[in-house]
Amino acid sequence: MPEFTDNELIELFRNADKKHYAFNLLVRKYQEKIYFFVRRIVIDHDDADDVVQNIFIKIYKNLDTFREDSKLFTWLYRIAVNESLSFLKNKRFQCYLSLTSPEAMMMKALQEDTHYDGTEIQKRLREAIVKLPPKQQVVFNMRYYDDLSYAEISDILGTSVGALKASYHIAVKKIEASVTAN
Amino acid sequence: MKINQSIQNQCPENESLPPMLSKLRQGADGINTPDGYFDSLGSRIVDGKANRKGASFLSVAFPSVSKPLLWVPTLAAVVAVVLLVFVLPEKKAAEIPAVDEWTEIRMAFDASYAEEVLLSESHTVDREIENIDLSYIQSATYTGKNEPTRDEISEYLKDQEIEPDILNEH
Repeated sequence: MPEFTDNELIELFRNADKKHYAFNLLVRKYQEKIYFFVRRIVIDHDDADDVVQNIFIKIYKNLDTFREDSKLFTWLYRIAVNESLSFLKNKRFQCYLSLTSPEAMMMKALQEDTHYDGTEIQKRLREAIVKLPPKQQVVFNMRYYDDLSYAEISDILGTSVGALKASYHIAVKKIEASVTAN
Repeated sequence: MKINQSIQNQCPENESLPPMLSKLRQGADGINTPDGYFDSLGSRIVDGKANRKGASFLSVAFPSVSKPLLWVPTLAAVVAVVLLVFVLPEKKAAEIPAVDEWTEIRMAFDASYAEEVLLSESHTVDREIENIDLSYIQSATYTGKNEPTRDEISEYLKDQEIEPDILNEH
């Protein structure tokens, strides 16, 4: 599979004859990154599959009008963040209807996750992350797992670097306390 | 602001993580996918993008929405109950004679029924009028005690500058 830069992919996509080819290349390039980012937030594989498909469909529909005032990668991540947080918000509403707490629901999803084979300590880490507020989860995952710089995260979320550093620092403290307490 | 500044000072770009978290960061985190998932994801997205329903609010908040076998029979039962309770009894009420108090009150406020009643009453009045003796009406005159005299009438007509000869016409 040939490797194209983001700009080349955008150019190729805007060519009507090569649109589908460009889109397939784009999916191949970013599917794993996007999938694992979403999966860490929504936990369940089937839910992650749904959200990832929605993300790429949105990308397909809007890539023509992508203004290129940010990097393609930043734009993709922004869509992924919005879709994941929307999904969590809708799930929480489902919790209120069934009179269960969102935390309990997420814990249950973690326990029932059949596509997970982490160690005990990794499970505790995962539980601790899930207990964080949604946006703090996003910041933590981007920094800890995806190794994005604060500047990149700031571009994606539209939050200041200082606020992100504070958020990450607090998240790390909470997670450390939670994992060592258990 | 001071607290944030303090945190920022402790969090340079390459902040050091607690040893446990630093160790867990290396290597896999235990999350895996079904076999061949990523190989088929692209084609599934392309196939599904035309008819994608998406993880809409409804389908996530109410998972049974995506399972019509669950909600279609329920909806059908609700519609049937509504029809039985509200629609059919109204039709039946039109055939039953107004014998009970509530039916009479309801029909009294029913404009079409009121119109029918008035029409039937006017027919009754018409029939009575045809049958009665009208001769006393034709010959009836006003016999009030304060009837004006001819002179008073003439005086009045002069005031109004009307010719008194008009009296002779009647």
